[in-house]
Amino acid sequence: MELSVLVALIVLSLGAALSFKDTRLVFATSLIALAIVFSTTWNVYTFFIIIIAALNIASLEVMKRSQIKGVDYALVALMGVATIYVFFVDDLATLLAMFVVVSVPTYLLVMVTDNKANVDVGIKYITFMVLATVLFIIGAILLVHSPHGGLMYVVGYTMLVLGLCIEIGVAPMHEWVPDVFTAADPIPISIIASLAKFVPFVVAYKILVSTTNPLTPFVTMILAVLAAISMFIGNIGALTSKETSRILAYSTVANMGYILATLTVIINFNWIYLALTGAMLQLIVNSMGKIGFFTAIKEGKGSTPLMYTLALSFIGLPPLMGFWSKLFILTSLVYVKYTWLAFVLVVNSAISVPYYIRIARNLSKGWMLSLANAIALIAVLIVLITVIPPDWFVEAMKNFSEMLFIKGV
Amino acid sequence: MIELIALLYLAPIFCSIPIAIAWGMEKKPEYARNLPMLSVFGLFISLLVSLYILFRVDVPTYTIEWLPEYNINFVFIFDYLSKYMGVLTAFIAFLIGVYGLEYMKDDYRLGWYWMFFNVFTASMLLVVYSDNLLMLLIGWEGLGIASWGLIGHWFRDDDPLSYVGIIDRKVWKLNMFWSPSFGGWRAISTIRFGDMPMFFAVAAIYALTGNLNISEIDWAALFHHIGPAGTLILILCFLMGPFTKSAQLPFSEWLMTAMTGPTTVSALLHSATMVAAGTYLFMRFSWYVEPWHVHSLGLEYIYILVLFSGLLSALYGAIVATGCLERKVLLAASTMSSLGLMFASSAASMWLGKIALYVAFWYLIVHAFAKATLFLVAGHLIHVTHDRFCVGDKEVAKKMKLAFIVTIFATISLSGIPPFTAYWVKSAMDEVMHHLTHEFGALPLTLLILTSIAYAAFLAKFLSLNFIKGEKAHLHLHGGNVMGLAYSIMVSMLAVLLILIVGEYEPHAGEFLKEGFVANSFMVGVAVLASYSFALYVPRIKQLSSVGTFLSDRMYLPFLNDFILPKVGWFIAKIIDYCNKAIDFFCHKAIPSAFEGWSIGIRAIQSGELNKYIKIVVGCVILVLAIISVLGW
Amino acid sequence: MIELVILLLIPLVVTFVAPFFNSRNATYLSFVSFMVPFFGILYYLMAGTSFEIPITKVSAPIGEFYLLADPIANAFGLTVCIVSAMVSIYSLPYMKHRFEEMEYEVESEFKKYIFLYNLYAVSMLWLVYCGNLILLYIFLELSLLASFALIYLYGYGNRQWVAVLYFVWTHIAGVLALIGFLIIAYENSTLALKNIAAISYTAWLLIFLGMLVKLPGLGPHIWLPWAHAEAPTPVSALLSPLTVGLAGFILLRIYLTDPWFIDMYRTPILIYALISSIYAGFSVFKQKDYKKLLAYSTVSQMGYCLIAICLGSYGAIALVIQYISHAFGKSILFMTAGAIIAVYHGLRDVEKMGGLHEYIPTISNAALLGFMTLGGILTIGMFGEFFILKGIVDIYEFNIWVIVAVVFVFILSGFYGFYTLKIIFYGTPKGFKTPKIDRMLDVPLYVIGLLSIAFIFPPLATGLLNALKVILGVLP
Repeated sequence: MELSVLVALIVLSLGAALSFKDTRLVFATSLIALAIVFSTTWNVYTFFIIIIAALNIASLEVMKRSQIKGVDYALVALMGVATIYVFFVDDLATLLAMFVVVSVPTYLLVMVTDNKANVDVGIKYITFMVLATVLFIIGAILLVHSPHGGLMYVVGYTMLVLGLCIEIGVAPMHEWVPDVFTAADPIPISIIASLAKFVPFVVAYKILVSTTNPLTPFVTMILAVLAAISMFIGNIGALTSKETSRILAYSTVANMGYILATLTVIINFNWIYLALTGAMLQLIVNSMGKIGFFTAIKEGKGSTPLMYTLALSFIGLPPLMGFWSKLFILTSLVYVKYTWLAFVLVVNSAISVPYYIRIARNLSKGWMLSLANAIALIAVLIVLITVIPPDWFVEAMKNFSEMLFIKGV
Repeated sequence: MIELIALLYLAPIFCSIPIAIAWGMEKKPEYARNLPMLSVFGLFISLLVSLYILFRVDVPTYTIEWLPEYNINFVFIFDYLSKYMGVLTAFIAFLIGVYGLEYMKDDYRLGWYWMFFNVFTASMLLVVYSDNLLMLLIGWEGLGIASWGLIGHWFRDDDPLSYVGIIDRKVWKLNMFWSPSFGGWRAISTIRFGDMPMFFAVAAIYALTGNLNISEIDWAALFHHIGPAGTLILILCFLMGPFTKSAQLPFSEWLMTAMTGPTTVSALLHSATMVAAGTYLFMRFSWYVEPWHVHSLGLEYIYILVLFSGLLSALYGAIVATGCLERKVLLAASTMSSLGLMFASSAASMWLGKIALYVAFWYLIVHAFAKATLFLVAGHLIHVTHDRFCVGDKEVAKKMKLAFIVTIFATISLSGIPPFTAYWVKSAMDEVMHHLTHEFGALPLTLLILTSIAYAAFLAKFLSLNFIKGEKAHLHLHGGNVMGLAYSIMVSMLAVLLILIVGEYEPHAGEFLKEGFVANSFMVGVAVLASYSFALYVPRIKQLSSVGTFLSDRMYLPFLNDFILPKVGWFIAKIIDYCNKAIDFFCHKAIPSAFEGWSIGIRAIQSGELNKYIKIVVGCVILVLAIISVLGW
Repeated sequence: MIELVILLLIPLVVTFVAPFFNSRNATYLSFVSFMVPFFGILYYLMAGTSFEIPITKVSAPIGEFYLLADPIANAFGLTVCIVSAMVSIYSLPYMKHRFEEMEYEVESEFKKYIFLYNLYAVSMLWLVYCGNLILLYIFLELSLLASFALIYLYGYGNRQWVAVLYFVWTHIAGVLALIGFLIIAYENSTLALKNIAAISYTAWLLIFLGMLVKLPGLGPHIWLPWAHAEAPTPVSALLSPLTVGLAGFILLRIYLTDPWFIDMYRTPILIYALISSIYAGFSVFKQKDYKKLLAYSTVSQMGYCLIAICLGSYGAIALVIQYISHAFGKSILFMTAGAIIAVYHGLRDVEKMGGLHEYIPTISNAALLGFMTLGGILTIGMFGEFFILKGIVDIYEFNIWVIVAVVFVFILSGFYGFYTLKIIFYGTPKGFKTPKIDRMLDVPLYVIGLLSIAFIFPPLATGLLNALKVILGVLP
């Protein structure tokens, strides 16, 4: 497997190098690199990651021009490879490396636009990311080096969680999200809002699960409170936003709150697979929705049934994937006796109904044939995949939960 | 047997379906006006079946499976009461059906009329023959709905002839006139008010005994089981049905405004049969409960209540009738009075045994024929004079000899003038009340005698004001042969009854004969005759016209139904409406706008200045770390 | 046994096939697709059969997915089928009128409509057969989605606002119940009804509260008049008769699984139910909009369901019958409201009506059948009331307050029924013109009405009540 990752990286760098010759070549090599990694690692999780990465790459095509045309494909592919690889990593150094590997390409991507590089947004974004990365890494190191708990553990845990919060945009550290989402180009944002969200969570999961100790239930409360705040701020903030991309920004804040909530489950390892199922499915739902919506924003129009399906998936209607993700999140919360948090989630899913419907209404402009629509169509097919009850996904996450432990901790 | 039962109930209903459908068509077919014949034919079949049952059926009950798992079945009972009552119902329904062929000839709503008329007959027969209480309730509800449908038959409210009361008359804030659609609503609402407690009682009986057949339930054990208070609640609930249906005080108003329906309906439903169903049910109940054998304090209270409410209703009805000037309303009040007498007499069975029930039942039969006759005559008069108030001088008597003679015979027979039909039954009733002296002193008998005297007076007044001393009326004579035939046959039944009683052909009715020869009864008879003669000679007393208005306004009882209760109801409805508005405002205005406010607040952070953001985030981080460190220490 | 699956699949398949036909054929197809299962289910009901059909096994905590075809499910399924079939016929002329009013292209819009309509109806049909709570929740939300879309697309007034309002309220209801289900899953490590051993306090409470919003009880009831009044009428004729009552169905299922909650909090629930029923009954009198009036009547009638569930095993039978009778009655009534809207171009204000019997006698007579069914006069509703009243004596004996309150509730529904009839259909005609009424606008009403009457006589009454006797064995 390591070999395939290595090969993929070589292919990628070759492709990137060739970008000044023909950008289509990079497009091909990026997909090839992803395929190589997938061929040795295939399971349901990597399958979804590949789809998301491929959709992200394809969505870059919707942009007419780009300052780094060609390289952007390779960057996304690199993120994809890292997102898959992080799944199998079991040492702290590589985990943190992967965290950075996924984070850094987005610094570049966020500034990409059709005409002129958007440096203002870049600065805002990078400032926050650097802060996040520093906090996260310090927190991780403190955690790993405090085998007997104590204040070190508590501080480390908190720093890691805060770093994670800033990285993914959890309220009240979400200030960059609405600004960046509205100011930057929709396509790069769709990448930041989808593919880039996996690795921080996986890394956080791995580190937190490996370092549990009797103090964990206590510190988890701070996490639960943050998750609840984030849900409320995100959903309520979205209610009156006018711009579609701003609504989506707040929706991201809310969704990150849902996913953050699953991290409470580390207090009881028995149910961690349910939490993982919920978190991963919610990440996929979020990715699919954001890709579909942002490409539609970029094009200025989306097709009615696709937009509504994605909105309903966000709302959480069965048998769409958004239902199952919320179901498993709720299940895991109920199982670890965080019923109040489950209740907060329910209230929030009701608050969110009006604005998701509004997004769909804003973007729906009837049927048409275009790349953006094709991408949205694939996204819809993915959220429809759970017409078959996702037992298979639960099984995969059960296996994954075995692999969460880091060596040497 | 099952074929007979099917024929009895389905023949009238199925025979009226063609007219109902034909009338509902957008273009009425030409034969539609002849289809009522078919409906009447259906009634005729019922009559034949009921006669067959009277003479040929010997089994006491017949069962058809309905809800066998619950021990609830269609149980038809063929006893003394039901056999006679069945024939009475079917016969009167058929005869009034025939009358209706002419009376309703030019009506605009024949489908509705005949459908409900026949549904009514079938329902009434169901009530009459059923032993099972739930099955009886089906018929009972059928009576209610048919009554509603037929009272509100002229739903357009455009014909002044179909109103009750003087149009546009107001007393204080209350309109003292009632339209057919209002009459219907009032009838069904009053009946519903009584039916639901009765329904509860039936369910309670089922819950307590697991059986619903009146003749099979061990009533004494039931009353013993639930104690006096339980008995009181149960039977009182049960009797709410009969009380409202038979228009006892204070539920009498609906019967007065029921006169907005066609006269045939008043004759069949609101005098002879439907309103009598309440008393009939009470008789049937007493027949099998045998209260004279049961020692239950609760039951005794109930019977005392029924006795006095019956007598008071009788007196009220009779006095009100003396003040009435509307033909049908006068008769309606008199019907209420008679129903009161039936209740009172049945209730006396508590102390006197079955004989009181026979008296009540025979009074029901006599009253049914006599009152139906009078209504049919009234209907004919309304047709001829185009006036629903009592008008007509000797010219009417001359030109409508048959109606005149029939009315004389019917009033004389009904008021209890010796030796005509009702005299014998009334004599027996006098004796019954006389026997109650041990229990209640002279009060019951006094009330009865007062009622009888008033009763005779208003019957004579009816005769006098319509045929002899009324104002001059303009007559529109045409046709009327079928109608004349129908009420002639009807009134002749009173003669048949007289023969049955006097000739002692009917063993139980024959027993009344000896009561008629008791001196007391004869004195009452003489008093009645005197009152009758006086009223015939002086139908209206000018000096007492203000009292008359008070009486014809039913002693202002309408204020209860039309003013107090609706005011209370609308007041509650208004308060609740405000509550709804408040909840609506809270949920759909206040909460959403609160969320909007918060949302704007949340978005206000987004100033776009990086410095500020960094301050917030770093502040948060430090705050959280500080909190967690302090707590974790 | 497996035939049942085929019966249930027919409408499901037709849902996806019907949009390919023209409007008339699609309507007939949908009609037939609900009538076939109707007769099948009727057969099962009359035979009193009770069986399970396994679908698939899902890992814990979800547990086995299976169809549970007991008499309760059959009774509910029967109702869903017949009402859906009749309303589908009725939809054709009504929605044509509605599309013309909205200036849509009729044929293409009808394809969308018939798909959503069938999806809505079929999800309710499947819901009642679900043996697994998660499956049940899925169909609940599916029916919510379809009905939401129908209101959103074709409703009246501020339809998008109303649709979202409807969605939010019922979504809260659904998700509250979902958390309850999840707690059940945690405690029993299954959600298959037959394997659930016990339901704890929190789970019961959450499900109960959720269903109270959905049913709805007093307080949350405020969403219902909006949604049911502003929905296109054929949708109202499913929403009100079928959908809200399914909350009662879910409560009944939970009750039969573990009755302790209701048994323990019987009296407060009963008091609440009585108040909410009487409250809604009085609300009816002040309504000016015919459809809103009917919606309040629904709230009152759903109070019956809540009353019934507090009254032991006979109460449970009453709940099933009450569902059927309310479905029959209210579907007829909403269709009469729709017919008036269709022939008089959106006439809904009862104050402007009066004497309508003169012009639309067939609709008026159907409304009479509808209100008779609601009031339990000569119709199946009679059994519902009978068993509720019997339940009172079983549980509360001769508690005078309960008796008076319940009897008053029944009286009240008769009152507002005939009062409404009087002010809308009788009295002096107000000079409308006599319209030509499409037979599809009135015949379905009579079919339901006559069925409602037929259900008090053998053999239908015998079969239905004998089958429902299974409930008696389960509860105390």
